[in-house]
Amino acid sequence: MTLVKEAPARPAGKRPAAAPAGRRGRRRENLAGYLFMSPWIAGFLLLTAGPMIASLYYAFTSYNLFTPPRWIGLDNFTTMFHDPRWQKSVEVTLKYVVVATPLKLLLALGVALLLAQKRRGEGLYRAAFYMPSLIGASVSVGFVWRALFSDDAIVDRTQKVFGIDVGGWIGNPDYVLYALVALSIWQFGAPMVIFLAGLKQVPQELYEAAEMDGAGPLRRFWNITLPMISPVLFFNVLLESIHAFQVFGSAYVVSNTYCGPADATLVYTCYLYQKGFKEAQMGFASAMAWTLVVAVALVTAVLFWSQKKWVHYEEAAK
Amino acid sequence: MGTSRNVERRTILKAAGASAAVLGLAATTGCGGDGGTSADGTVTIRYAWWGGEPRAIAIKKTIALFEKKFPKIKVKPEFTDYEAFWEKFQTQASGGNPPDVFQNAVGFLRKYDKRGVLMDLKSQADSGNLNLKNFRNGVLANGQVDGKQVGIPVGANTMSLVVDLKAFKKAGVAPEFGWTWDDYFAALQTIQDKLKIAGDTGYFSIMYLYDLYLRQHGKAFFTDTALGFTEDDLTQWWEDGYKRVKSGLVADPKKIEQVKPKSGLSAGLAASEFTWDNFSIRYEGEGESDYGLAPIPTTDGKDTGQYLGSLMLSAFSGTKHPKEVAQFIDFMVHDPEVGAIMGYDRGILATTEQYDAFTPTEATNKGVKAYEEKVAAEGVLGKITPHPSGADVIEAAFLRIGGEVAQGKTKPSDAAKTLFSEAKAAFAG
Repeated sequence: MTLVKEAPARPAGKRPAAAPAGRRGRRRENLAGYLFMSPWIAGFLLLTAGPMIASLYYAFTSYNLFTPPRWIGLDNFTTMFHDPRWQKSVEVTLKYVVVATPLKLLLALGVALLLAQKRRGEGLYRAAFYMPSLIGASVSVGFVWRALFSDDAIVDRTQKVFGIDVGGWIGNPDYVLYALVALSIWQFGAPMVIFLAGLKQVPQELYEAAEMDGAGPLRRFWNITLPMISPVLFFNVLLESIHAFQVFGSAYVVSNTYCGPADATLVYTCYLYQKGFKEAQMGFASAMAWTLVVAVALVTAVLFWSQKKWVHYEEAAK
Repeated sequence: MGTSRNVERRTILKAAGASAAVLGLAATTGCGGDGGTSADGTVTIRYAWWGGEPRAIAIKKTIALFEKKFPKIKVKPEFTDYEAFWEKFQTQASGGNPPDVFQNAVGFLRKYDKRGVLMDLKSQADSGNLNLKNFRNGVLANGQVDGKQVGIPVGANTMSLVVDLKAFKKAGVAPEFGWTWDDYFAALQTIQDKLKIAGDTGYFSIMYLYDLYLRQHGKAFFTDTALGFTEDDLTQWWEDGYKRVKSGLVADPKKIEQVKPKSGLSAGLAASEFTWDNFSIRYEGEGESDYGLAPIPTTDGKDTGQYLGSLMLSAFSGTKHPKEVAQFIDFMVHDPEVGAIMGYDRGILATTEQYDAFTPTEATNKGVKAYEEKVAAEGVLGKITPHPSGADVIEAAFLRIGGEVAQGKTKPSDAAKTLFSEAKAAFAG
């Protein structure tokens, strides 16, 4: 009996070595995986993790690149919080984030709503609206922006037609930041595509039912679309605000590499760059970098906490 | 599974090979410095400078000339614009890998001397690889720091007032040596009254001009280690400046900002601009009027506070080829052919050999030559004042904070306070 019972457990030689070789095979497979990943891992350790740890250390030192870093404890942070230019850079950045992010998302959502409807040539429209996101980070666009918003350029002339005369935005400390905001809004393509994907997921029967109940377009948007795409909205808010906190290229190019006039476009990263690479205060710059990391982490945490109140996931319905 | 075992081994090997290759690549790119000596004894040195395209073209010609005369030395050029140059240089130098020879200016001498980057070229002069004679008007002293010769001047320049000749003529203003600041501001008023444009582009945020003004009053912008003036001095200077922006004598800073990188003068926003005399060549290219050089206004009708500044060549203290580097610098500052190629691009040629070898033919260069000869003849040239470590950072701060004053964003007294606190940090850095 026992022999008979054992026989089916080992069906004659076909898979006899399966168990031990399987474990070895898996280990082998893992090894191959790690080997394939090793360039990335090496890159991560050498180019990301290493420098990050080094910069965390430098944040507590005085370091001018030439003489060895000198441990000064929290001095960089206390100097930083008392530095009027640092305060200005925080102010400018917050202003940028608070103005640019909602406007960009509003436009992205608006256009996504239009493009979600079936119409001829929709692919073309989507591509056209997405295009600026692809080239938006380039330096050349920064130059184009300068040309558009300068004195007596197209924006200025158009304004004058309506009787508004500010003499170009680029040189005016009160307006130049909004030129950057405009540049950010212009690149609404990426969040738009995500919104579009979200809108396509909303079940059509919800709208049909609502329509039968006599709900108008606004009501349908408010009571169906918005709750249904709230996870996507949350994702976009999160991504775009993190992105906005790190704005650099546009400020650097539009304002001739010095983030002015009168520090009007002195966004956080621009001041960090000046401290680090122009004034060689690497310790201070590192302290600034880590403060930004913490600040962005806090903002992210607050957003995640807030999602309980306004983001609706549809698990219960399924 | 059985058949895939071989494939697996092969892929493992491939992956291993690929990773090794990537790591190897990283390792080789990490240290490009091989000392620059090849098997046949040819030495390669790196030469870096900042400047625009015309300068790059001219310098490359001079390098070719050098390589022809010194076939055992190869020169690798590196160049960028001014801003990028110093950011790159700082990183290279801190990594112990700066170029062997590089263009330098007085604002950076002490900074990099303090950090041990600059070679004292006296020793090379002593061993006969570099000639320290025949420099004009004592300009060699510009490259000295605490008794060391850390820079060799290639050219000399001095501050000047560049004027829009047509505008000045139309307004009937004729600047002359010995005119005073009052005369100057009266001239701006006349220009404004008659031509309805501003007279100046924003004189009060130019550190080197304020230096001249201070020198006219027996002070200077810098002492060896600090600022040579008081907060009250600067408050006064900026208050006057801002007043003139408000009254329209000085161009609207918002407009000046819009036309950058073009200058306010060549854009026709104002009729004059203070700058280094050899920069006047840019206005001809940029603007539509004719431009000429006028004297710096004085306080007492005599002393302009002027001195000869210069661009220099410096060498890296840790270079593997000090002799070749010295020979190269010697060639670049003394060879007549080099002088003829470079012209006044980096200021009036610093050595007599090169000065004599170049006769300017077009108006701008002729103007620069005439201007410097006139300045020298007037006997107003003084000695350059020190530029402590951090001078470069302070110059940028002066421009920035002066701009804030002009825009009405900062009160002159607060602005002066800010500059002093930033200067303190810059000296300490």
